[in-house]
Amino acid sequence: MHDATAHDDSKGQYFWVWGALLALTAVEVVLGYKQIFSPVRMLEVLLVLSIIKSALIIGYFMHLKFEKALMRWMLVFSVTACFVIMYFFFFPDAGRILRLGVQ
Amino acid sequence: MADATLQHDAVGHGLPGAYEAPLFGAYSKKVGMWLFLASDSLTFGALLFAFCYVRIYTAWPTPFHVQSIINSTIMTGCLLSSSLTMVMAVFAAQRSDRTWTRYWLLATMAFGTAFIVLHGMEWSKLIGEGLTLPLFPKPAHAAVGEMVDISKNTPQFPATFFGLTAMHMLHVTIGVIYLGVIAFRKWFLPVLGVLWIVGYLLIPSDNVFHWGIHALGLGLIVAAVILFLKPKDYDAQDVEVSGLYWHFVDLVWMFIFPLVYLLSTKIT
Amino acid sequence: MATPATVHAHAPQGFIRKYIFSLDHKVIGIQYFFLALTAVFVGMFLSLLMRIHMIWPAAVLPLVGEIKPETYLSLLTMHGTIMVFFVLTTAPQGGFGNYFLPIQIGAPDMAFPVLNMLSFWTTFVGFIVILAAFFVTGGAPLHGWTGYPPLSALSSAGPGEQLGADLWITSIAIFCVASLMGALNFITTTLDLRAKGMTMMRMPLTVWSWFITAILGLLAFGVLLSAGILLLMDRNLGTSFYVPLVVVNGVVMGHKGGSPLLWQHLFWFFGHPEVYIAILPGMGVASQILSTFSRKPIFGYRAMVYAMLSIGFFGFMVWGHHMFMSGMSPYSAFAFSLLTMCIGVPSAIKTFNWLGTMYKGRLRFHTPMLYAIGFVSLFVSGGLSGPFLAQPILDIQLHDTYFVVGHFHLIMGVAAIFGIFAATYFWFPKMFGRMMNETWGRVHFFITLAGTYAIFMPMHYLGMAGQTRRYSQFTEVAYQQKLLPLQTFMTYAAIITIAAQFIFVINLFWSMFKGPKASDNPWECTTLEWTTATPPPHDNFGGVTPVVNHGPYEYGVPGAAKDYVMQTDPPTGSAH
Repeated sequence: MHDATAHDDSKGQYFWVWGALLALTAVEVVLGYKQIFSPVRMLEVLLVLSIIKSALIIGYFMHLKFEKALMRWMLVFSVTACFVIMYFFFFPDAGRILRLGVQ
Repeated sequence: MADATLQHDAVGHGLPGAYEAPLFGAYSKKVGMWLFLASDSLTFGALLFAFCYVRIYTAWPTPFHVQSIINSTIMTGCLLSSSLTMVMAVFAAQRSDRTWTRYWLLATMAFGTAFIVLHGMEWSKLIGEGLTLPLFPKPAHAAVGEMVDISKNTPQFPATFFGLTAMHMLHVTIGVIYLGVIAFRKWFLPVLGVLWIVGYLLIPSDNVFHWGIHALGLGLIVAAVILFLKPKDYDAQDVEVSGLYWHFVDLVWMFIFPLVYLLSTKIT
Repeated sequence: MATPATVHAHAPQGFIRKYIFSLDHKVIGIQYFFLALTAVFVGMFLSLLMRIHMIWPAAVLPLVGEIKPETYLSLLTMHGTIMVFFVLTTAPQGGFGNYFLPIQIGAPDMAFPVLNMLSFWTTFVGFIVILAAFFVTGGAPLHGWTGYPPLSALSSAGPGEQLGADLWITSIAIFCVASLMGALNFITTTLDLRAKGMTMMRMPLTVWSWFITAILGLLAFGVLLSAGILLLMDRNLGTSFYVPLVVVNGVVMGHKGGSPLLWQHLFWFFGHPEVYIAILPGMGVASQILSTFSRKPIFGYRAMVYAMLSIGFFGFMVWGHHMFMSGMSPYSAFAFSLLTMCIGVPSAIKTFNWLGTMYKGRLRFHTPMLYAIGFVSLFVSGGLSGPFLAQPILDIQLHDTYFVVGHFHLIMGVAAIFGIFAATYFWFPKMFGRMMNETWGRVHFFITLAGTYAIFMPMHYLGMAGQTRRYSQFTEVAYQQKLLPLQTFMTYAAIITIAAQFIFVINLFWSMFKGPKASDNPWECTTLEWTTATPPPHDNFGGVTPVVNHGPYEYGVPGAAKDYVMQTDPPTGSAH
């Protein structure tokens, strides 16, 4: 709000971000068809691309890059921490079901 | 109450007031929206985790044709572009340029509506091909083919597809209504009502959206209640906060699109 | 902006805007409090029916008639759900948090008053919806408050699993939305509306506890919401997220390939933080009261804050200790076990600091103090059985026995309830302008303390002897005959304890109208709510915003005129 004028002249960067997002989407779609990677690697690559895209959206469109550091870190940390914890405990179980062959 | 609002606006504008500086350095509405988004991202995150969890131990089909992928790519483009127009709307609002704020918001809503319509057509097409849930309304003539087999053998596939995308579509719908209320206030309500009734009457009753359109009715009621409780003119802060929500909806799609669509493309 | 502001600048007139759809956080807090009071009596009545049924299974009871095994399951489901959601989450956070968080930080109201009102009325709708489950075809659901599928996902799985279960899930989802609205309001208020001088490290521990609870609620309820949506889809759209290929009464269900473990993971990802959502406000209240009535600063203020923060943080990483017996990966079980043990450390720090606060203090044994001490006692005795259950090896024996029931009732149920009682006796003068009766408060305390121990302590022995929870009848089972006297004893204790709660209710309502008038600061406490009038005016401080110069617990300061220094007192050389 108060620093609206400071960013007004840099409106161009949002077009760059928009272009980058579209380009990354194109890369994803191409990857989806080219099958350069094995499925698991493919998943990882797509997820990394998605995280880059969401970081661009959060940082620039949602303006988090220009917020106070405390707010930035608190929000990003709490949400990311939850996902990391879930990641470490959900997926071993799913793999286990696969190995046990439960129907 | 009003004192809270007034003082708290003083805080938001960085004026020296009777309060400690806000810890996050932003006005309360923005902090509140960010907190809501943190919570909502966990809601979506849990859904995506459930999706991946099921997917890991299930032999996953890859049935999406080129048309589906092209369609969903266009949808992605719509959402991304709507984010850009939203940013422009926020800029216009910060310049206090009401006309352009309204135009940019309208553009954002148009992109969002395009997304919903494209997605709805995609849904109808897939349901027509036989990718369906057991309790969805049955199409007039029974479909045959790959999608029917998938629905029968891997019920998780349609379940996760419809579950995730329905939740996201609901968020986009809420977003469009939200932006409409911000842009046009109470004058948006009749538009919404007309869309609801017309949609309900025009969509055939064997289509899920015949029932899904009632989301608009619910949105109408909630929007009316909120407009009744806070009948105010929305300012730049409100536009920025609605923008946060809109970008978040865009962000979620950045995960749903590759996970649901791209990892299930049909390679011929 | 100006128009609505001037409209609402004065206290609203008219009964409806003042008492029903009020935007005033104090009225909303009292509304939450009475909602929880209603809910606690419903829940208590259900538990009474269960206890009676357990020793006199043939008895025909009022309102429910003869209790069949499935009726018993309905009773325990509704008891658990109502108690956990509509009492333990609603009263300390929604009730006292709403009323006192803004006042204690010097704010005129919450950051979003309209959202606050909506969050109460959403909670109210959730409560009505869950009560409706009693009256629909098939009755209330059977699946326990944890709602494990496949039982909860199949409408043919039992009589209560028809519309009742749908209503149950809907109610939970509504409650999630209400809690989200409440939580983000609490957090924003704490971040943005602290009066001048009220730095984070000068906030009373109650404010800290509500703040951390709100963060937990914000992150946890979102996950429960999506778990509930998936369960509703399983039930009403025929999907199979949670349901594997199952056969019910010889009929193959149309589901296949789902994983019941998925629900357990999602549910307990919410469920364990929920335990802390229930107990953390109690911890805050106990800290406040112990310090005030010991006339000593709280022992280790910063340690208390960091302990609560780390309890909140670890609370998200231990949900698997509810699932040791579920067929979860044993490696995860190992990690969960270790992390669960870690939570004992901050809990022990808190207990140590409470005892340190009381040590060599000039203790004043008013009713709130008694309840705060009771809270510490129950927290310790309930907490000690935690490390037993945290070990997968012991959990094999103790899982789903009365040991678990005793454990969580002591620490999450009764300890949190004692926190609520302490808060009620402590803040009643400020809320209603009158004092509660001390004598009857003490009588109530001693009966309740002895009664809860008499009910829940024997459960540990029953559990170790192998008595399983959620079974409706033990009288006909030969090898459990010897445990029956203990069960009978517990039932009598429960009847007496529940009867004693009427002392509290009568005391509450009698004092509300007939109690002696309270002064502005009857307990000689230092925090901001005691600087304003009793009861506080519409904007809390009568048009001024207090300026804070002191920490929250400056009791017995050397060289001061009184034995306590209000937070708003002018700065002195001796105070920091």
